[in-house]
Amino acid sequence: MSLVRKNGADLIPGQEGICVEQEDGEKENQPSVITPDDVLKMTRISDGFLCPPEANIYDIDFTRFKIRDLETGTVLFEIAKPQPGDNIEVPSDDEEPVDPNAGRFIRYEFTPNFLKLKAVGSTVEFRVGAQPVNKFRMIERHFFRDKHLKTFDFEFGFCIPFSSNTCEHIYEFPPLAPDLSQDMIDHPFETRSDSFYFVDNRLIMHNKADYAYNGGLTSSASASAGDSHLKEGDS
Amino acid sequence: MGLLTVLKKLKQKEKEMRLLMLGLDNAGKTTILKRFNGEDIDTISPTLGFNIKTLEHRGFKLNVWDVGGQKSLRSYWRNYFECTDGLIWVVDSADKRRLLDCKKELHQLLEEERLAGATLLVFANKQDLPGALSFEEIRDVLDLTSIKTHHWQIVGCSAVTGSHLLEGIDWLIDDISARIFALD
Repeated sequence: MSLVRKNGADLIPGQEGICVEQEDGEKENQPSVITPDDVLKMTRISDGFLCPPEANIYDIDFTRFKIRDLETGTVLFEIAKPQPGDNIEVPSDDEEPVDPNAGRFIRYEFTPNFLKLKAVGSTVEFRVGAQPVNKFRMIERHFFRDKHLKTFDFEFGFCIPFSSNTCEHIYEFPPLAPDLSQDMIDHPFETRSDSFYFVDNRLIMHNKADYAYNGGLTSSASASAGDSHLKEGDS
Repeated sequence: MGLLTVLKKLKQKEKEMRLLMLGLDNAGKTTILKRFNGEDIDTISPTLGFNIKTLEHRGFKLNVWDVGGQKSLRSYWRNYFECTDGLIWVVDSADKRRLLDCKKELHQLLEEERLAGATLLVFANKQDLPGALSFEEIRDVLDLTSIKTHHWQIVGCSAVTGSHLLEGIDWLIDDISARIFALD
């Protein structure tokens, strides 16, 4: 299984109007606060990011995403951001201009077998900056085209300053009708998700992902852990 | 457990429980959590924050919170008390030197108002280590029999071998569900 990470700007070709960056005109109007209720009402994937990267005033930093198959224990997908001390030279964020949306988008490429999994564990790992964080809540919404597949709504609550935290949701896959499943395989990257993160009911981070299930003919349980790196600010 | 809380629980579609796992550092909280969920336990480092797992077990949705036990983190524990149905206190049964510290921290927690409605499960962990105190000895050192404010149970276990973990968790779930889902 391979992973192709692209930044937000790269998303646009072929997906016009689905994931565009905020236009300059919109930036001038102060966007009103986005609340959990706002995103729970949405009936499709959002147009663009609903908050700028600067909204993350808490320096919350996602450092790992992992998906494992509960039945076999196999890690199906893992992407980790190199940490200081990992012996990898990471250019510091302020040395070069970077795409502001880098790191806000992940592309997942799975084989059709992925849709047959019964139960998976989906882990995120994140670090928190110097400020304590209150009422940290994640709402993740998955759609295939305009069909709603699943919503995760989870409140982490309080996060300790400078902490490193993990959260694994272990869940049964929603049963998919065979024709829907085939549609999702036939139309790569039309399965998408929005991950919204709130502190005190204000949107502070927004990440996007898209998914393909038409990956090669090899077994889906063959991805090796740690062969991909999410390097923020690297393109 | 007040009537309102009971009603609130009953209104939820899924039977949800919030379990909070605490204990001194190096007690084995994260290892227990990972072992219980069939994860690799070879590379576990000290928890500098929390680890959460949400899972289905016996028809219940469990939200399990494992919060780091280092001294500098303990003052943050209180941020995780709210809505806790079950408290899992993990003890390193081989760390005799710190058992009094362990006892003091546990009894402090039991005085917390926001944990007043929680069932207490004590895991006397690391029973696989030579020199580990038995769960009866841990029960006495921690003075568990003096606890009248909470339903409690102590279970000797080993996160490394996995022994008696399920037994402990199942007792906890039974006790909580008997208390809060009794009206079903």
